[in-house]
Amino acid sequence: MPKFLRLLLCVGLLAGPVAWAAAPLPIFDAHIHYSQEAWERMPPKEAIALLRKAGVKRALVSSTNDDGNQKLYAEAPDLILPSLRTYRTRADISAWFKDETVATYLRERLKKYRYAAIGEFHVFGADVDAPVARQVVQWAKQYKLFLHAHSDADAVERIFKQDPDARVLWAHSGFERPDKVREMLRKYKNLWCDLAFRNDHAPGGKLDSDWRAAFMEFPDRFMVGTDTYTAERWHYVVEHANWSRGWMTELPLEVAERVAYKNGDAIFGNAMKP
Amino acid sequence: MKKMKTILTAGALAVSAMSAVWFAGATQANEPGVIEFNEAEVSRILRHGPWPMKWSPDPSNRVSGNTHAVDLGERLFFDEKLSANDKVSCGTCHIAEYNWTDGVKRNQGLALVDRNTPTLMNMRHHRWFALDGAADSLWSQSIRPILDARELGSNAAHVAQYLRKDADLSCRYEKTFGISPSKQDDEAVLVGVGKVMAAFQETLTTEFTPFDQFRDALARGDKAAAGLYPRDARRGLQIFIGKGICSTCHTGPMFTNGEFHDIGVSHFIEGGSKKVDGGRHDGIKLLLGSKFNLLGPYNDDATRATATKTTHLKPERRNFGEFKVPSLRNVGYTGPYMHSGEMMTLEQVVRHYSELNIERLHTDGESLLRPLKLTQRESADLVAFLQTLNMDRAPPWRGKEYAMPPCTVGSKAVVEDNYAAP
Repeated sequence: MPKFLRLLLCVGLLAGPVAWAAAPLPIFDAHIHYSQEAWERMPPKEAIALLRKAGVKRALVSSTNDDGNQKLYAEAPDLILPSLRTYRTRADISAWFKDETVATYLRERLKKYRYAAIGEFHVFGADVDAPVARQVVQWAKQYKLFLHAHSDADAVERIFKQDPDARVLWAHSGFERPDKVREMLRKYKNLWCDLAFRNDHAPGGKLDSDWRAAFMEFPDRFMVGTDTYTAERWHYVVEHANWSRGWMTELPLEVAERVAYKNGDAIFGNAMKP
Repeated sequence: MKKMKTILTAGALAVSAMSAVWFAGATQANEPGVIEFNEAEVSRILRHGPWPMKWSPDPSNRVSGNTHAVDLGERLFFDEKLSANDKVSCGTCHIAEYNWTDGVKRNQGLALVDRNTPTLMNMRHHRWFALDGAADSLWSQSIRPILDARELGSNAAHVAQYLRKDADLSCRYEKTFGISPSKQDDEAVLVGVGKVMAAFQETLTTEFTPFDQFRDALARGDKAAAGLYPRDARRGLQIFIGKGICSTCHTGPMFTNGEFHDIGVSHFIEGGSKKVDGGRHDGIKLLLGSKFNLLGPYNDDATRATATKTTHLKPERRNFGEFKVPSLRNVGYTGPYMHSGEMMTLEQVVRHYSELNIERLHTDGESLLRPLKLTQRESADLVAFLQTLNMDRAPPWRGKEYAMPPCTVGSKAVVEDNYAAP
């Protein structure tokens, strides 16, 4: 951790949660999907307006299939960071990692469009060593992309074995307990965590002490995410942003700002720049 | 009105060669072999009874179980003068002959509502009320439709004024609560109305069913009686407690865990595709914001034990799009199904679970739910089982003749006049 940040954190820790500015915290939403039903129900202009209404300054977005992603990126390149999902349809979720036709699809998309990441993909354990999953890890290296992995800790470790320099955004932080998440963060410097679709870090809107310790130890490694896995969930984006701002008030401002948006800005900030 | 299909068909008892294994019907050509329930299955079946369940009056409602409250509650339940336009009552949507629902997808009070009308049967056994759980007591739930602009569209002042001006209702109110509505403020009278309506609804219960006969026969080891249960229903029951894992949520004698789940049904509000029904998530917010919840001043439970469940309630993201697991008792009478009434028949409901759209389910959400991939026969068997959860006759209309004689002004409260709870 940079020295200046440690200093700030010490000040924050001594002072406890600080008074918040009047303006709501911007949000970097690291887990947005814009799949077919969503784009049919909520055209890109509306979707972008909703993200802006929620105070989302940037969002890592993927869609099944990738067309939704491109529609949204075209509408607001300043806001959208496209991530290439490994699914043409949701049916690919269970076997994409060994399906060569998925590899063909991904190869074509990577040639045609620019991305900040590949994912969110679901892969667990040794399945990540299957041929197409290995190819994805290599493409991430080649194109300098993040891997947005909905995986258990075992699969994450296997990714780092394949490429020790891989950069992994661990979706839902693997639904692991905070002590395990901390253990993984200590072990892998290129591992970042999203907190999408989990409540245990702030049950009832109150920050959990174990998670607080994780945020304090690794203030530069966490991000929030809505996870709009159904079209209806787009109507939860504003609520999620506000809920996140709520529990973050229990963190020192500097840490809250990092989790809310600065970490996303820092690691994805240059991803789409020419 | 919907007719109930004949349920009790002749069954045959097959003699078991093994102890602790129940045969279910004789083998026939074109039929699967004899259905056996092993000990674990019998144990699971027994958990769905006995019926009726024991009940005691609601401590949060001081007139729960009071005969005068039941009488007044019934009158007000059907009284259209409580509404803003004198044309809508609770009975507009909760119709006795329709199992206290209405048989339509979404009904209309003063305007079209967003959800299917839930049945009022067995409400006294519930923990949360309404499909979104926006009420934590039956009496507070009874207030909500009175105030909802789409339902009765009324307000406390209108309700209180109406009761005060009607000598008979005013008298019955005083008999029930020991105080005239003229001596209470508007809001207190509104709460009183909610409480007597709750007392009335607590009397609406389903009767013994063919499933209960089978379950009790198993419990007492009466193989002859158990053998009368239809073969297709047995097979359906085996799916229900087995590969269908239906009984995980539709559990206990009520066939519901009383909680809320996302089962992959769209929760966009039909007709307004931009609007989403937040379900339990929004229900919790409404409940916590209500002055009529059990944490508030109108809870009659001095111990406040009834409010414990509400104390730590907070909306969480998983609650978005969750709806209450309905009881399956009398399920054959409660269609259309799902929170929005989008499925007209039980066959459609079974098909939903059989062909579940996994795209609508989060991989780490409702982890139990997977497409059941039932055969046509299995689907029919499951429906046959569900139909045995209906009581034999349609819910009886209570009649327009009220049991209580005309009220005489000046009577004292008779709160001790409770009826015996079964």
